Amino acid sequence: MSAAPLLEVAGLSCRFGGLVALNEVSLAVREGEIFGLIGPNGAGKTTLFNVISALTPPSSGRVLWRGQAITRSRPDQLSRLGLARTFQNLRLFDSLSVRDNVLVGLHRFAASPLAAGLLGSSKVRRRQRELEQRALELLALVGLAEEAQLPAASLPYGERRRLELARALATEPRLLLLDEPAAGMNPAEKNDLCELIRAIRDHFDLTVMIIEHHVPLMMRLCDRLAVLNFGERIALGTPEVVRHDSKVIEAYLGSPR
Amino acid sequence: MSAGLLQQMLIGALLGLSVYLPLRCGQLSLATPGFFAIGGTVAALLSTRIPAFAGTGATSPLPALLLEMGLGGLLAALLAWAIGGTVLRLRGIYLAIATIALVEILRVITLNLPFTGGALGIFGIPQPFATASGYAGFTLVLLALVCWLCARLEQLRLGRAMAAIRDDELAATCVGIDTAAVKLNAFVLSALLAGLTGALAAHFLNSWNAKVGSFDASITTLAFVVFGGSRTWLGPVIGGLVLTALPELLRPVGDLRLIVFGLVILLGPVLFPQGLITPQALQGLGHGLVGLGQQLRGYGHQLLERANGPRRP
Ligand SMILES: Nc1ncnc2c1ncn2[C@@H]1O[C@H](COP(=O)(O)OP(=O)(O)OP(=O)(O)O)[C@@H](O)[C@H]1O
Ligand SMILES: [Mg+2]
Repeated sequence: MSAAPLLEVAGLSCRFGGLVALNEVSLAVREGEIFGLIGPNGAGKTTLFNVISALTPPSSGRVLWRGQAITRSRPDQLSRLGLARTFQNLRLFDSLSVRDNVLVGLHRFAASPLAAGLLGSSKVRRRQRELEQRALELLALVGLAEEAQLPAASLPYGERRRLELARALATEPRLLLLDEPAAGMNPAEKNDLCELIRAIRDHFDLTVMIIEHHVPLMMRLCDRLAVLNFGERIALGTPEVVRHDSKVIEAYLGSPR
Repeated sequence: MSAGLLQQMLIGALLGLSVYLPLRCGQLSLATPGFFAIGGTVAALLSTRIPAFAGTGATSPLPALLLEMGLGGLLAALLAWAIGGTVLRLRGIYLAIATIALVEILRVITLNLPFTGGALGIFGIPQPFATASGYAGFTLVLLALVCWLCARLEQLRLGRAMAAIRDDELAATCVGIDTAAVKLNAFVLSALLAGLTGALAAHFLNSWNAKVGSFDASITTLAFVVFGGSRTWLGPVIGGLVLTALPELLRPVGDLRLIVFGLVILLGPVLFPQGLITPQALQGLGHGLVGLGQQLRGYGHQLLERANGPRRP
């Protein structure tokens, strides 16, 4: 049997009271691709991420991970499965240092019996040093090695975004959901971030799903794109296909009439 | 300061740490006095009803005390574990109210059980130490041990996960932390500590009754942490020591002392919203101490030079 897609969303709907944030959305993300999600403000992009990462229960429809339904899982279970994400409105652990934010991302790999940990057995200490080393490597990857000991709250906006990325990578994801990682950056910074995302995809051999408003940039970065408008998936395909889709042109430029 | 007061202060510090543990992961539990009462009741019953625990000499045997502390802590921890899964689903003030209810329920049960002495409680609890200093010495060692464990915990995966949950529970669950399990761990550790402290306190106080675990005690122990700060283990220790001592130290001002005590509890959070002891404050103190050390060394050199001066040719 041919392999199921890494992630599949089937007939997903999400209603908040009378508001239909997602309406029968279906799409599949293949292993290894960079999959873009675009659409006007309020189209339901973040809501789709929230449903996939089990933060918001769907009204109907299913989410499948390699063909298995994960709609009823908890977020921490999905993390162990290989799903990681960043947040549009940045959610760091502000009272912790930059390094410790990444160490929290390494939580799953730090398991040790509490007693051995408290007494600080040599094995636990060695493991702890390995993880600290790993955290520093991840910080170096996103260009924050120098800031490791600073409180996370003290970082400027762009660096906070990169720290969130490092924290997500620490969980060793198979699929990384990035919600507007380039928001608030200037064009040069956006380009750098694109390069970084590509490099990360190649280096960790992972799959990326990304939301971003800058359409030309998304056309360059993504292998395929889905376009949401008023909770409906109005287009899906390669940048070439999406660029010439009449519904997409209408959604972005308004109807010609 | 008498050894008796010191002993009370040390117990206050231990209870402060018990409130601190759940608070470190953002859980406002006021159940500490309830678990404290359980530990004390276990110790009081065992040592007054079972001859082996009372011993035959002038003082009751130390191993019996340790065993009672273990059993009292264990019973409290078991109860915390049994109810934690349900209670810890509540958030913020709702958790606080549920845990106050728990303390009340335990108090009423203790009042009405046939073997806990009703409102009067249990008297004549045997003494493992002949003097208050004996108690204080033992408790000081215990507190040092617990502080060391808490400091270790803060460096461990569990401690970091607790801080992460306090900062942002949703982000914590998204990086793979089973938040319910971490909160339950903190709650159980808190109960364990309160329970074994209760067993020790029952001996020291010589009598034990249901009033020990009351709503007042919930608020007082919470004040330890609010006053001292909940960012690091040192905060609740300082809070517990100072706020337990304060009413006694203020005795000379008579009835005014309750007002002053109230003012401290009121103004503490206003002036120091994070509590007295914060990581920044500790860092500042560290720098201050280093500076002071350097200054002292400078004085030392000057003094030496002056002392050596005349002898030189
Ligand atoms: N928890 C919620 N409760 C009620 N309404 C919500 C909730 N979350 C989202 N919505 C609504 O659902 C719609 C889709 O929101 P969503 O955040 O998914 O849009 P988006 O495509 O991410 O937009 P943007 O580009 O501005 O981030 C919006 O109208 C929003 O107000
Ligand atoms: Mg959004």
